[in-house]
Amino acid sequence: MMDVKRIISKIERDYIISNLKKEERIDDRGLWEYRKFQIESNVIASAEGSADVSLGKTRIITGLKYEVGEPFPDLPDEGVCTVMAELLPIASPLFERGPPDEQSIELARVVDRGIRHADCVQTKKLCIKQGVLVYILFVDMYVINYQGNLIDAGAVGALTTLISSQIPEGIWNEKTGEADWTGKYLTGKDIVNELPLAITYGKIEDIIFLDPNLSEELVSDGKISVSVTENKITSIQKSGAATFSIDEVKMLGKKSLEIGKKLRKDLNFLQYQSK
Amino acid sequence: MENNDDEITDDEFEDFADEEDSREVVVPGEVLTEDVTNFLPGRGTILNKEKNKIISLNIGLKQIKKNYINVIPLRGFYTPRPGDKVIALVVEKNPVKYKCDINAKDFGQLKPKNTIKKGKIRGFRGGAQLREEVSTEKYEIGDILVVKVLSADRLNKPELTTVGKYLGKKSGGIVITIDPPKIPRVIGRNGSMIKMLKNLTKCNIFVTQNGRIWLKGEDIAHERLLIESVHKIASEAHTIGLTDRMQDYIINEKKKRGIE
Amino acid sequence: MPLIIKDEYPERLFREDGKRLDGRAINELRPIKMEVGIIPNADGSAYLEWGNNKIFAAVYGPREVHPHHLSKPDKGILRVFYRMATFSVFDRKRPAPGRREKEISMIVSDCIEPLLFLELYPGTSFEVFIEVLDADGGTRCASTTIAALALADAGVPMKSLVSAVAVGKIDGKKVVDLSGIEDKAGEADLPIAITWYNEEISLLQFDGDMDLNDMNEFLDLAKDALKEIHQIQLNALKSKYIKLQEETLKEKEEKKGEK
Repeated sequence: MMDVKRIISKIERDYIISNLKKEERIDDRGLWEYRKFQIESNVIASAEGSADVSLGKTRIITGLKYEVGEPFPDLPDEGVCTVMAELLPIASPLFERGPPDEQSIELARVVDRGIRHADCVQTKKLCIKQGVLVYILFVDMYVINYQGNLIDAGAVGALTTLISSQIPEGIWNEKTGEADWTGKYLTGKDIVNELPLAITYGKIEDIIFLDPNLSEELVSDGKISVSVTENKITSIQKSGAATFSIDEVKMLGKKSLEIGKKLRKDLNFLQYQSK
Repeated sequence: MENNDDEITDDEFEDFADEEDSREVVVPGEVLTEDVTNFLPGRGTILNKEKNKIISLNIGLKQIKKNYINVIPLRGFYTPRPGDKVIALVVEKNPVKYKCDINAKDFGQLKPKNTIKKGKIRGFRGGAQLREEVSTEKYEIGDILVVKVLSADRLNKPELTTVGKYLGKKSGGIVITIDPPKIPRVIGRNGSMIKMLKNLTKCNIFVTQNGRIWLKGEDIAHERLLIESVHKIASEAHTIGLTDRMQDYIINEKKKRGIE
Repeated sequence: MPLIIKDEYPERLFREDGKRLDGRAINELRPIKMEVGIIPNADGSAYLEWGNNKIFAAVYGPREVHPHHLSKPDKGILRVFYRMATFSVFDRKRPAPGRREKEISMIVSDCIEPLLFLELYPGTSFEVFIEVLDADGGTRCASTTIAALALADAGVPMKSLVSAVAVGKIDGKKVVDLSGIEDKAGEADLPIAITWYNEEISLLQFDGDMDLNDMNEFLDLAKDALKEIHQIQLNALKSKYIKLQEETLKEKEEKKGEK
């Protein structure tokens, strides 16, 4: 569409809004339809888990690395999973080099919270020796091309990465005071407990719609992301100046669970599970 | 506001003309000829004096015209030249000028004196009197303007104007951007491609030098088909028989999508 | 997925059958795949798989210089930024750029700048971003190679491409295209790039020890490998255009046949 600068022309804004009012979008989707997801796992040889996810033309490559270290003092028998995101300058003329900005922090945090509050990662299984040694998982998302809705693509990438990971298994050796590596691996089955997804909507004037593409995102007055498991809502993030009525939020909660169920079925994450 | 592409005549439209044979695709550094006595380096090429060769500077199509070897680029960015008609987006304004994004390395400048409109007023009894109505058009940030490049050179920012036929603010429709080198192919020799597009998709379409295209159709389904067609033309610009193929494509798609 | 847990170096870098650990002969390149136009938003882009290396390069420009004080009034500037992803190496790398990345950025830039006509674009910049998502030896050579391709894809006028490869010595033998393990465990490592405009060396580094004889052999070994790499670059640039031309020609013939 129009050149990708933060200023959107009035023509484009009017075009998007007038068509949304007729429930039309330039890429021929309905208001509650996702663009096409394309997923490939195990794409990075150096990483213990990885995924290359495209949502329409938004593309994010995610990788997992592990370290072993001391647990948090208040959670001595639990491993740690942390999520980071970088909006790479290759992905858009809108992205500048430098330390993570608001948008990358929002992406990391929303995906992280969706995973954390779903109890997605079985952190108790990531403990080698209580109070002494646990696994620390780093899930890092790198945006390769930005065409709107990083959050939903990132959540799918993080989940696919976790579920397809193979992490060397360590067993505590009391005599040596170190971990012995058994030569076997912790797999997605051991690590992942739940399949949380983020469902993001844009709002322009009083129209709400699923999976904003870039132009729609730049024109939106606000957006809201709802993270869901099969039966629960695990995290919500509203951003932007737009306001949502109570009825709208209730509607979105219900819709998100429905959309989440369908998406989870369509994407079939178990096919990526490492064995 | 009607489009004006019939006015634009340029040798460049010859570049992508439908021919019998495909032209050779060349890349930067590729040797086009070692016969430096009979050939001269033309557009997109350079003479490598030490090696006595003419080489290509771009990825493009090799073309020989008289004794010049040219390379018609398949990829590239827009460089403003005086006289170009382009689509501009107003990104900043202050009392002395509008700053416009014209898809070039520099922003263009539009000064209020170059937005003055003149109008004709008919006198009583039908006798026309030319009276200058000095009014400046006022533009806002986010406006889409069709402008003409007044001046542009290596060192100075391009100067723009909205005074002239078909120039000024656009309303309605949508603007898309393609690779500037492909624009001549969207117009076609003697406007053949663009006329076909207009007739078959029933859209108004206005093509400009900086790769931007304004279009407006009777509904989004027609506009969608036109946008996809334009992108297809851009990606196949270097092939032969494109106009006929695009015509078949559009007719088939219209049937498939159930539009007329 | 890493096969070893600890960073252990194997004792020998050649197998019983005389081949290298990954099955290659001494003058064999790893499998290389290149693709251009892979990032729709960028002005030019290219993607490379070279052995286990996976690298994206994207070009933005000519565009305004940020910060403005870096811009030059009489010519454009070229800025190259080489970065590695945290998960691109065996031991997770810190996200922030380090000294090695800055050094490589400079080397790639020195290689590429002479190919461009920056005086045509005063006050603006061309930015080349190189992102290494998976690293396995020879990333600076792969990056130089793919950066040149991305610039060509962007339609930036260039005198020619540049191709790079690392040659070296492992277990006393001279080999072409060191993999990660060969780079770490070997005795000498010589990354080299040739600019095809004047067929001269534009990138040259060396670590290890060698005598004059070694050096001559290294350079000769490199030249053949570089020609092969250049051919892969040319194919990557041309192939999608040529493929389309051939397809449409075929269609046209078929139509003629039908009539």
